[in-house]
Amino acid sequence: MEYKAPIEAYTGAVREATIGKGNKSLKIGGENILPLHFFDQGSNPNPAKFALEVLDMEPQDWPEHLVQPFKDVISDPVKWAKRCEELGADAVFLRLVSTDPAVKDSSADEAAALAKKVAEAINIPLIIYGSGDDKKDAEVLPKVAEACDSMNLLIGPVQKENYEIVGKALLDHGHNASALSPLDINLLKELNVKLGKFFPSEKIVIDPESAALGYGMEYSFSLMERVKQIGIITKDNMTMMPIIADLGAECWKTKQAKENKERGLLWEGMTALSLLLAGANILVLRHPQTLKLIKETIEAR
Amino acid sequence: MVIIGENIHVIAKAVSVAIRERDAKVIQDLAKAQTEAGANYIDLNVGPMKKDPEENMQWLVSTVQEVTDLSLSIDTMNPVAMEAGLKHCKKRPLLNSASGKTDSKEHMLPLAKKYNCNVVISVITDKGMPPDVDSKIESIMDTVAYANELGIPNENIWVDPIILPVSTAGEGQRFAVTNLEFLKILEDVLPGVKSTVGLSNVSNGVPDELRPILNRVYLVMLEKNGLYSAIADPLDKELMSLIKGEMPKAVELIYRTMDGGDIDLAGLSQKEVEYVKTAKVLMGETLYSDAWLES
Repeated sequence: MEYKAPIEAYTGAVREATIGKGNKSLKIGGENILPLHFFDQGSNPNPAKFALEVLDMEPQDWPEHLVQPFKDVISDPVKWAKRCEELGADAVFLRLVSTDPAVKDSSADEAAALAKKVAEAINIPLIIYGSGDDKKDAEVLPKVAEACDSMNLLIGPVQKENYEIVGKALLDHGHNASALSPLDINLLKELNVKLGKFFPSEKIVIDPESAALGYGMEYSFSLMERVKQIGIITKDNMTMMPIIADLGAECWKTKQAKENKERGLLWEGMTALSLLLAGANILVLRHPQTLKLIKETIEAR
Repeated sequence: MVIIGENIHVIAKAVSVAIRERDAKVIQDLAKAQTEAGANYIDLNVGPMKKDPEENMQWLVSTVQEVTDLSLSIDTMNPVAMEAGLKHCKKRPLLNSASGKTDSKEHMLPLAKKYNCNVVISVITDKGMPPDVDSKIESIMDTVAYANELGIPNENIWVDPIILPVSTAGEGQRFAVTNLEFLKILEDVLPGVKSTVGLSNVSNGVPDELRPILNRVYLVMLEKNGLYSAIADPLDKELMSLIKGEMPKAVELIYRTMDGGDIDLAGLSQKEVEYVKTAKVLMGETLYSDAWLES
């Protein structure tokens, strides 16, 4: 008797989010199958996308082999962002690290002005993250949202401590929200429920926290996997959002990546590939060679 | 449903101070309040009771027995304190608790035989907490067989499947569901045994104002699947009403949710909607978050 592989059909579907506008936009999510379950009934209309990260100041702790591809532009975030575009990134991820009170504590206005300049200079969509300091982000991100009014960017991290103020600003100025919670599915859902009370669910992207290989990646993996299962199999309204994996920064923090270029590339590459398998819809990388490596791997599938 | 009143436990600072300073009134007030509220047993949870276990336990037992006729549940992991407690009970007590751990088999279970009392036996073994229904059943069958050999009949055994907080990421909900399934088959595999749970643990870690509804709904669900008794808060009036048959509509609604019935939330009161949502979390149908009543 001939073997017939079972084909699953699911009831849930990840909402499709659009980042950017017009020909400067991309779509993420929209799948109604589990990650890479192309053999099941349904499809993933938007294969995973990749952003390259730009900092709003010259990096302090990057190893030489990570600085190298951007060496001539690294003190100018606008040029750096354009370089990322040339290198084939689907989006630019601008991290406003200098606003962190523990770094330079630079002002919200400065950050907003820079964000706008970068957004206008590139022809690909822009993702903007604050420093992650929830209090400072509550000042910075609303200004950023206003400066980039109606550009439909993806802005975050929106956290439990600041979702009301940041969420409202993003809503008022027509942006998507990246909702960050600390590696916990219950907290992740709670934040989505609370944010979703006044913010459209189709404009929420989940940032579940992406740990690096060897530094807890398996937690991020299981969590992303579970978010997809709960959304797609059991149709939980509050987990059916696309996922962003902000992993480059975590990988290049590791001793292993800093010490040795090849190892760094593989560290970032393996983390990215793993989280891609777990269901990440957009992945944030730092090194353009990792981007190339991952794209080649996917095409060779 | 047999309710073992949980309110005398050393985690409450007032209780631990009262035991240390021999303040009978604090303890007796708690015992009286629980008796009046309709508890069937009074639990005396003294923890490990490392200091003067015999004197402390004897004082506590007699202090409580002065104001209530209820049976006592002696709740300690210290076998010396346990024996002191069992020895001074006027009515047949409940030994709370033993387990399948070697230590417990050697020092606790023999006490249950010696005093011919009821005994709580949990599914825990030397290997730790069994992760799923099958391994829970397997573990408890081993430990009950051991207890039987010591001469403890099934009728004296109250099996505890161990409740974990539902808010524990991922695992908590799975355990809540596992325990519901466990109770369904317990009677078939170990005829005659009774069952009990530490109910309030299900809502541990949940914001205080949201804890009662989880406890209430879960108790109704566990009872549907055959639960015999629970260590719970008898001072929670709604909890007691639910299990005393005073709220048949609410109970029926929770049962219907468990049976997968199509429930039209639009026709329900706010309170009823909350029962349904909570039942769905506890049966693993909706992913838990602290905002489960809001979504």
